[in-house]
Amino acid sequence: MTSSTLVGDLAFGLGGIHAWAMATAAVIAASCALVGTLLVVRRMSLVGDAISHAVLPGIAVAVLAGGRPGGPLVFLGAVAAAMLTVWLTQGLRAAGGLTEDAGAGVVFTTLFAIGVVLVGLAPPGTHLDAACVLYGELAFLPFDTISIAGQPVPRAFVAGATVLAGLVAAAVATWKLQVFTAFDPAGARMAGIPVAAVTTGLLAATAVATVASFDAVGAVLVVAMLVAPAAAAELLTRRLHRMVVVAMALGAVAACVGYLAAWRLHTSAAGMIAVVLGLEYAAAAALTPDDGLAARLIGRVRLAWRVAREDRLATVWRAEEAGNRAAARPQTPHEAVVVRWLEFTGHLLRDGSSWRLSPAGRREAENVVRSHRLWEAWLGRHADLPLDHLHPPAEWVEHHLGAEMRERLEADMDERAADPHGREIPPEA
Amino acid sequence: MTAAAGILAHNTVVVALGVAAVGFAAGVVGSLCVLRKRALAGDAAAHATLVGVAGAFLATGRRDLATLLAGALVAACAGLGMLVLVRRFTRTRDDAATALVIGVSFGLGITLVSGLPAWGYANSAGLEQFLLGHTAALTARDAWLLAAVAAVAVAAVAAILKEATLVAFDAAFAAATGWPVSGIDYAIVGLVALMVVAGLPAVGAVLVTALVVIPPVAARFWTDRVGTMVVLSGLIGLAAAAVGVAASAARPGLATGPLVVIAAAGAFAVSFLCAPHRGWIARRAEAARGLTVRRGDDEGEAGR
Amino acid sequence: MTPPTRPLVEFHDVTVAYGRRPVVWNVDLVIDSPCLFGIIGPNGAGKSTLLKAALGLVPLVGGEVRFFGEPLGRVRSRVGYVPQRETVDWDFPVNVMDVVLMGTYGRLGWFRRPGDRERRLARECLDRVGLADVASRQIGRLSGGQQQRVFLARALAQQADVYFLDEPMAGVDVRSQERIFHVLDDLKAAGRLVVVVHHDLRTAAEWFDRVALVDRRVVAAGRTIDTLTPENLQRTYAGHVDVLDDLAQAIAARGRTP
Repeated sequence: MTSSTLVGDLAFGLGGIHAWAMATAAVIAASCALVGTLLVVRRMSLVGDAISHAVLPGIAVAVLAGGRPGGPLVFLGAVAAAMLTVWLTQGLRAAGGLTEDAGAGVVFTTLFAIGVVLVGLAPPGTHLDAACVLYGELAFLPFDTISIAGQPVPRAFVAGATVLAGLVAAAVATWKLQVFTAFDPAGARMAGIPVAAVTTGLLAATAVATVASFDAVGAVLVVAMLVAPAAAAELLTRRLHRMVVVAMALGAVAACVGYLAAWRLHTSAAGMIAVVLGLEYAAAAALTPDDGLAARLIGRVRLAWRVAREDRLATVWRAEEAGNRAAARPQTPHEAVVVRWLEFTGHLLRDGSSWRLSPAGRREAENVVRSHRLWEAWLGRHADLPLDHLHPPAEWVEHHLGAEMRERLEADMDERAADPHGREIPPEA
Repeated sequence: MTAAAGILAHNTVVVALGVAAVGFAAGVVGSLCVLRKRALAGDAAAHATLVGVAGAFLATGRRDLATLLAGALVAACAGLGMLVLVRRFTRTRDDAATALVIGVSFGLGITLVSGLPAWGYANSAGLEQFLLGHTAALTARDAWLLAAVAAVAVAAVAAILKEATLVAFDAAFAAATGWPVSGIDYAIVGLVALMVVAGLPAVGAVLVTALVVIPPVAARFWTDRVGTMVVLSGLIGLAAAAVGVAASAARPGLATGPLVVIAAAGAFAVSFLCAPHRGWIARRAEAARGLTVRRGDDEGEAGR
Repeated sequence: MTPPTRPLVEFHDVTVAYGRRPVVWNVDLVIDSPCLFGIIGPNGAGKSTLLKAALGLVPLVGGEVRFFGEPLGRVRSRVGYVPQRETVDWDFPVNVMDVVLMGTYGRLGWFRRPGDRERRLARECLDRVGLADVASRQIGRLSGGQQQRVFLARALAQQADVYFLDEPMAGVDVRSQERIFHVLDDLKAAGRLVVVVHHDLRTAAEWFDRVALVDRRVVAAGRTIDTLTPENLQRTYAGHVDVLDDLAQAIAARGRTP
């Protein structure tokens, strides 16, 4: 897709149908992300999956009873079906000894199957067929409008926006309860918070968000809109209120991008929105600053490099201590590279065929050796280890002791200044 | 006319038998999965299969069942692989990872299947039958393929039942005594993926999980022995598949998958309510008589 | 010439981590003769972790464990194991006999099913722990002490030379404790080494020939009478581990262990 056609799409889209479709998808996605965040942090993602399938018979019964898709009767039917799912799953666990996932596996597949059969029985022209159940019909929604202040506004957008507003209001009103219940259900119960009611509310909200999404994306893909933005947001931030905002933004963006991409590629908007959500998650997993894949890879390489540098500096220091500078000559190509680098950074100074420490290099080397010997001394004192077994553990611990840990180790021993082998522990540089 | 009807009926019977064989094998394989407490492991694989069906069609241009199912199997394994990667390399918890793979892989599948006609693959119609299952489109040849896959899966379970039971019951002991626990786990999950794929034509991607979950859970109510449970689970799966196929043959408008699942659910309901000892009615009766089995230290100790 | 006697179990410099966070540091232990050996320490000291590491259930980040001078992989069939009782689902559809037979699987190998010989052995082992009359009962219908004895019988069916037991006396009635202890005593008398993770100091002094006091590291090890001294106990139960915990935290936060 060239940029000019994309701009063209946007210009056309902003003027009309596409804008409404995207706006509808965005409010729906934001609603799902809001609910989904709470589901994810409470480890209830699969409950969300189960509910999003299980609302189908509720919707179907409501439609067969004369309800209009997106109307109040349908919402009522869906919430009832969601409650039935949860009640049945818990009942099976209590009365039949089923594990939670096995129980959910029985209940939601059965309810979904019943829903599909009911949909098959629905009279033609009721806006409900198998294709709609599976992937919705986002592209057609803007054509069904109602008049607001003289302007035609898609019914689905009004419904979605209303649901979003309601869910946001409910979330703001019960925020403290939700946070407390999410992180410490037992404590919340002790503190008198009605945990069961809070959970029921969350499940009802899941059902409402699912129904609001149903016409646009069907019942199966809702799980992506519930879980993917929340899972991505969880990687990006650790604070719950930020997570909610980030998840809603990711959901809304994915809805718009997915819709446009689907329109360009002539395929299902619902499917494409799920794909974009997956891409967002993958990007978050790869690029999160602290513990994303890229950051961890870089951290690993940097640690390996630091260990190599410190080992080299300490080797030169020990060689100087022993008065045998030749012992510090690099033995392998890898070590030679490290030495070149240390020379370049001014930590080592070339001295004929060998190297000696610059003042900066000496400071660093002394801290490493000090870490090593302090650790040996500490282990020798507090663990039941023979003398000849002290060196290998210290060999990697030395790279992890900061100045503060060294001080604590020193303070934790009575005698100082010598390690168990009788060598001097250098002072903090 | 009558000859055609005869061939048609013959075809229906063969298809029903093939699907019933898949139902049996799915019940057998599902037992291991449920005992290992991985009831929903198959669901991620199931939702990923659609990508493979569409991908196999895109890559080969062929629509025969073997090609499409081979693609589905590759995609199912890829879906499970994604799950493993997400769990290993991110902070995302298991349940969210499973839901994520389910949603995103199904989305990709829907995108491909919906896009194919517009991308110039006019003969791609019919792939959506893999969403909810449709046995009317199957031929006798397809049925034989399914039966063969089912036979392989049942033979594999028979071969590793001892090892799988050990791992499912006590993975730590199995590992300590030298069994390759993760290898056996991969074998179990791989068999589940195989049965999910084999169940695809009849039950569809969305519901095929039920075929590996409901029969074992129902069978568990009747017995306290693994071997009995495995066979019973297979028989329940077989019956549910046969009933579902027959029902959809009677009402051609309905997809087969939901009917199979409803039949299995019926078997579950009967088991849950009526099974001796573990069934709900038996438990209530026992509780009413005050004869609940106690786990106290007096039980079985008193005589010593 | 007699072959040189090798220690039954040796830990050399064993450091064990969950993820990147070390939980047991630099353990060095040699057990060279059959006895009842207790691994004693406070809750969360890493006793069970150490046991699991020895059995290859948790990876070592440093050091090695040898049995009879060999790595575990070569001598697995000579090492028996009794895991903690809570680690399994007691509602699992197997009966007592099935569980004890699992002890014979290691020797049976792939695909072979237990036959008459294995059943006879399993029955014998059940008899030794006093459970012969409940052989066909579903395992969930046993008391806690009986369940623990089923696990012990399963280990007996392994016919091993070294036994590792993880908290076998936890949540077990006094009768079963005595019964279990007598079985362990018989094993010792038959020349087997029995290593038991245990947290109760009172019974430890009474039961074990030798002990190791563990709290994130081995504080002291040796003959029970020499090791369970007030000074050693003081060092085990009250001291110095915050340094180790903070260091573990620092390593977990900063990157890899080698």
